[in-house]
Amino acid sequence: MSRIGVFVCHCGENISRTVDVEKVAAEAGRLFGVAYTCDYKYMCSDPGQNLLKKAVAEHKLEGIVVAACSPRMHEKTFRNAAKAAGVNPFLCEMANIREHCSWVHEDRDEATAKAIDIVTMMVERVKRNKKLQPITVPVTKKALIIGGGIAGIQSALDIADSGHQVVLVEREPSIGGHMAQLSETFPTLDCSQCIMTPKMVDVVNHPNITLHTYAEIEAVEGYIGNFQVKVRKKARSVDMAKCTGCGVCMAKCPQKKIPNSFDKNLGFRPAIYVPFPQAVPNTPVIDRENCTWFKTGKCGVCQKVCGPGAVDYTQEDEIVVEQVGAVVVATGFQLYDIGPKPAGSAIEGYGEFGYGTIPDVIDGLTFERLASASGPTGGKIVRPSDGAEPKSVVFVQCVGSRAREKGISYCSKICCMYTAKHTMLYKHKVHDGQAYVFFMDARTPGKGYDEFWRRSIEEEEAVYIRGMVSRLYQKGDKVVVMGSDVHIGVQVEIEADLVVLATAVQPREGADTLAQKLGISYDKYHFYSEAHAKLRPVECATAGIYLAGACQGPKDIPDTVSQASAAAAKVMTLFARNELEREPIVAKVNERFCVGCLACRKVCPYGAVEEKEIRDRSGNLIKVVAYVNPGVCGGCGTCQATCPSKSVELDGYTDEQIMAMIEAL
Amino acid sequence: MKHSKMTLSAETMNLGFVKKVEQLSGSSVRRCFQCGKCSAGCPMRSFMEHPPNRIVRLLQLGQFERVLAGRSIWYCASCETCTTRCPNKVDLAAIMDALRKLSWDAQGPSKESLVQLANRLFIDNIRTYGRQYEMRLAAVFNLKSGKLLKDFMLGPSLFTKGKLKVFHKKNRNIGEIERIFSRIEELRRKGEAT
Repeated sequence: MSRIGVFVCHCGENISRTVDVEKVAAEAGRLFGVAYTCDYKYMCSDPGQNLLKKAVAEHKLEGIVVAACSPRMHEKTFRNAAKAAGVNPFLCEMANIREHCSWVHEDRDEATAKAIDIVTMMVERVKRNKKLQPITVPVTKKALIIGGGIAGIQSALDIADSGHQVVLVEREPSIGGHMAQLSETFPTLDCSQCIMTPKMVDVVNHPNITLHTYAEIEAVEGYIGNFQVKVRKKARSVDMAKCTGCGVCMAKCPQKKIPNSFDKNLGFRPAIYVPFPQAVPNTPVIDRENCTWFKTGKCGVCQKVCGPGAVDYTQEDEIVVEQVGAVVVATGFQLYDIGPKPAGSAIEGYGEFGYGTIPDVIDGLTFERLASASGPTGGKIVRPSDGAEPKSVVFVQCVGSRAREKGISYCSKICCMYTAKHTMLYKHKVHDGQAYVFFMDARTPGKGYDEFWRRSIEEEEAVYIRGMVSRLYQKGDKVVVMGSDVHIGVQVEIEADLVVLATAVQPREGADTLAQKLGISYDKYHFYSEAHAKLRPVECATAGIYLAGACQGPKDIPDTVSQASAAAAKVMTLFARNELEREPIVAKVNERFCVGCLACRKVCPYGAVEEKEIRDRSGNLIKVVAYVNPGVCGGCGTCQATCPSKSVELDGYTDEQIMAMIEAL
Repeated sequence: MKHSKMTLSAETMNLGFVKKVEQLSGSSVRRCFQCGKCSAGCPMRSFMEHPPNRIVRLLQLGQFERVLAGRSIWYCASCETCTTRCPNKVDLAAIMDALRKLSWDAQGPSKESLVQLANRLFIDNIRTYGRQYEMRLAAVFNLKSGKLLKDFMLGPSLFTKGKLKVFHKKNRNIGEIERIFSRIEELRRKGEAT
């Protein structure tokens, strides 16, 4: 190939400020094999692309080097332009003289010299590029949703309503997540259960949704359009097909004093239980750790009283394999625990707040259960210590959040609003009570949010005090709150009956392990990372995996539902196609030289390498070689670097190309 | 008082007083979100130990004793810059008026402050002469405050410019002015005015 065009972009002034683009174009013109060069202010613009197309036609160009920004930015743009001009898109390459050159250097002469080097290398590479054809892979039109909170439910319903199959996997015995635990929701104060439970029922009744509750993801293999997912369905000890949900087993179970984690351990449940009365599915599970039968081998009451004979102590964990084309991760959040630092955790507890040992210091979710009509107190707000009605309640915001010392620097986003809501719920139930709120900032960006917060102060008479609380301690039956009003500059002390801490929102425990199974990235707090913070906020960098809800970052219900629907829309876009085109940058094995050591199989992170037997015409085995499944290969090049006989190479990045690029320097 | 610890409870927060201030001033106190714009533009800020925003903040916490203990409310010049510029429609000038009124009625801690003395003499003068009689105001103020020579050296220049008169004519309609004062007193007795 000897007719290459080099197109040098000014990127406004981003490149031309530091690099002499005209000189780069002139120098490139002297290279062997370059037939045409030019420079232009915005090569990616419509006139810029037309320049490229025109040059291809006029100068019969066979290869293209665009010296501009990173290939991550505009490779696709220029490859499409090349395709439109009749050149194989894989003969068009970007020489990155912006991120790798003009943005990081100050000296004009040196930067220009480097830009010329970069362009020279890319010209040598394009000379050796092959005309590649995109690989097509089929799409399994079935989606997996991990997590059955409001995010997972919304995604599942949207995808199922579009006519595609959905598998919803939930770790707990019932779907519903945190939203099912809430009393009322801001900023409209509508009852959470009332808007949530109909959606839960829709999920279980939807013909397109397969629901796996009390189940976890065991392993995920494959790639966009073709994932194989192993789901571990934990032994429920109750046959879901036979159980009618009558509840006799729960009523008769002699174990009645097991703290109910759904009620934040404020109430109790039996060993055979549904987490809450509106649970979906309404099938109990046996908590084997606390069940007398599983502990001592005696009892068996639930089995005796069960009319349909659904209780089955011999049930074992079951592995279900699902073939899906897309995955929506919606694993949600948990609240920061102020208790002592657990082993292996990077997050500190709060000694100054008593490490969670003061009984009347509770977190926001516990207050939700106290205020909820379906909660352990029937909606009556009482103190956990003695059951008395608290006449003064202190709310403390930013506990754990925005506390670098504790290991969390982010804002948890929902606390300002739910604390305002809590003050209102409290005032509505305890008319002569006084709510105090210690806050550092009030962050209320959202439709109707600031008005809601102001209402809690101006109409519901909550006293807001700007300043963080320094210490909490028990004094008699009161909790003393030591704070400060930074507006006045004086210390403030309140003897409270109840203290509610708005603790930080964290990703679910085990979020990192799940991410490793899925092959998606996460930040240092274990929140899952989106592909682009602004332009691809619901997609993972790993193709075919999407994010919804608080597993990606703290989020309130409206934002979670929006993101869940957005993720569903992305899945539907994927499912609208029967086949997917993949970049053909995949590894190929030279079977003549391969000795079949399969070192490549050991290092391949995608599991793309298989064994292949080569036989002669009469069927005798000649040798075993490695074979790279092009549908699975991620194009990372690890096999190429590993192969001892140099018999596997990545298209577009062959050893020959790399060596030629180095030699051109 | 200024730096001492504040203990908040239903007993220590006099929210009834706040309601009274809101009633008198016709302005919400709770509405203030402490942006500080009132203090930023207040021309008298440098004389006050509690800047205007802190006055409102103390009111929000029902700390009327701290508010009335200082002289800040008496330094307010009622220029209404705060009210004009408040982003949240808090009529701070009216709140200051109400606080001064309540301080006066409650025989507040600063009852005998010089500002109050000046205010009283000012009104007395109006009632007696129907207009302001500066010479008398200055003389009586200096006598009563005990600061006999206060601003004495301003006298000659004010005098030559005709701003001070030794003898003063009463307003022609002094009878009508007296009727205004009597009527206010009567309304106050009936509780119709504050």
